[in-house]
Amino acid sequence: MKCEILYPGAFPMVRVYLDANETVKAESGAMVAASPTIDIESKMEGGFLGALSRKMLSGEKFFFQTLRASRGAGEVLLAPTVPGEIVLLELDGVNEYMVQKDGFLAGAEGVKIESKMQSLTRGLLGGEGFFILKIGGTGQLVLNSFGAIHKIELKPNEEYIVDNSHLVAWTSTTTYNIEKASSGWIASLTSGEGLVCRFRGPGVVYIQSRNPGSFGNWIRQFIPVSE
Amino acid sequence: MALAPNALCFGDGLPGAGVPCGVELCVEGLRVGPMGPSSLEDQVVAFADMAVEAGGLDHDQLVVSWGSGSSARTVYVKDPALIVAFRRAAPPQLTAHLERAAEQVRRVRHSHRLVWGTVLGILIGLGLLLWFGTDLMVEWAVARIPIEWEQKLGETVHQDFLSKETVLKDGPAVSAVQEMTQRLTEKIPNNPYKFQISVVQSPVVNAFALPGGYVVVFTGLMTKAESGEEVAGVLSHELNHVLQRHGMERMVKMLGLAAVVGILLGDQQGLTGLAKQVGMELVTLKFGRAQETEADVTGIRLLSDARIAPDGMIRFFERLSEKDKERVELFSTHPMSAARAERLKAELAALPKRTPEPFTFQWKTIQDSLGASELKK
Ligand SMILES: [Zn+2]
Repeated sequence: MKCEILYPGAFPMVRVYLDANETVKAESGAMVAASPTIDIESKMEGGFLGALSRKMLSGEKFFFQTLRASRGAGEVLLAPTVPGEIVLLELDGVNEYMVQKDGFLAGAEGVKIESKMQSLTRGLLGGEGFFILKIGGTGQLVLNSFGAIHKIELKPNEEYIVDNSHLVAWTSTTTYNIEKASSGWIASLTSGEGLVCRFRGPGVVYIQSRNPGSFGNWIRQFIPVSE
Repeated sequence: MALAPNALCFGDGLPGAGVPCGVELCVEGLRVGPMGPSSLEDQVVAFADMAVEAGGLDHDQLVVSWGSGSSARTVYVKDPALIVAFRRAAPPQLTAHLERAAEQVRRVRHSHRLVWGTVLGILIGLGLLLWFGTDLMVEWAVARIPIEWEQKLGETVHQDFLSKETVLKDGPAVSAVQEMTQRLTEKIPNNPYKFQISVVQSPVVNAFALPGGYVVVFTGLMTKAESGEEVAGVLSHELNHVLQRHGMERMVKMLGLAAVVGILLGDQQGLTGLAKQVGMELVTLKFGRAQETEADVTGIRLLSDARIAPDGMIRFFERLSEKDKERVELFSTHPMSAARAERLKAELAALPKRTPEPFTFQWKTIQDSLGASELKK
């Protein structure tokens, strides 16, 4: 599998080249176009219960599509639902990323995805649902964001505080705690929670430059109320 | 050096997400080497020069750090086997605080597990109460089992049972039992079962019915009976166990939740497998008292409808219970209490008086034929 980001910026697309019989896992609904040699195998990742736990518990349509170049090499175009940047990560079998529900766009055949329960306090207070995705294995991983993606590198024991609704992904060597935001955190105040994540390195945290919740609130004021 | 990277190394001048590296245990400490071109240098870190702690999101990674300032390095190891080996090899003072922390984590997990276990236990208990405590639930579940499947199950157990017994293929005794069955079954309204009656050559004084309509009568019962009506009484009782689906109800109770869920999900394969395991128990199955009463009452009504003298069964039970209690297997599955006899007699009295129609056979002839085959053996 080879990935190429087209039109980098707010409205990007990913071109995925597949060799004959190679597969790519893609978020269902992400496929825009494909060569006629590509077939959709709509199988559930992780078996019946695996899909169930994602579907039911992370409150998400997390039903993968496996796209296979079953009739010869070809390419697939994938695009996320929301406007925002796309980032390519290379998994080497050692590194692992925790990914926010909506952050996953695609992954190579060797990429392993499992839904993971967050500790009760983290999940409840973090407002991200109880499940996040733990993504490891080998191969390319494609994440998408709402807005631009910003990468924060943390040295061992270095700390950084992030509004939780801006989180996209972070490495599993990074720990975090949910904290009550001090009054200066406007973004979290608008989301009503006033909660932030305090990350501690080493590792990398990817954040998105826009907050989907706040954007939703902002856009709602322009929608005329009927009836 | 290990072939695949098994750790991530962090430090000044290294990428933020860490550099994949290979870590292995050696006599002095840990050997850390880069995988591929990297600014990380191959080195051996002595136990004396390192600090260790648990880290990572789930606190399940071994964090080893050494050096200071810009040459400070930290390695995150996730491989459980390597962590175990490290804990064994490292001097105790290095890992003592780690072991204490691990112990604490274990204790917290243990108490969590205890809490969840209790919650789960209560939930399961409630579930069991719901499924087992309520016969209505069992009946509801049984009503969902298709008759064909019940027949398949009964057939399997029946074949299995008969393969170890001598079955009478024909002769006066078989014709007699067939006549009784014919008279009884043609009076059953909307009968979904095709009853199959086998006569088994055996001194056992018993008869039983399997789910799906497979009835077995032992010749021992026929030699003990003083009339065809007595055997017909037992038959009628057994047929009604089948009609009321008592066997299935017992099965569901025995198999419990798994079976009920199996029925709900329509997973007949799993259920059939389970059923086979307990199949032979069906043969020696004890029905509940309520089920016996039901089979008694409906049995005696069926006898009356078929114009077979309905008091045969009571007489048979009473006579045998007086004589040789121990030798009659029928009583191990059908204990005859005075209350039961009273109940039967009351039921009998309430039935409309009908003139019984005798069977076409002479009971004496049947018994003689059985005696003859007994001799032949
Ligand atoms: Zn009975």
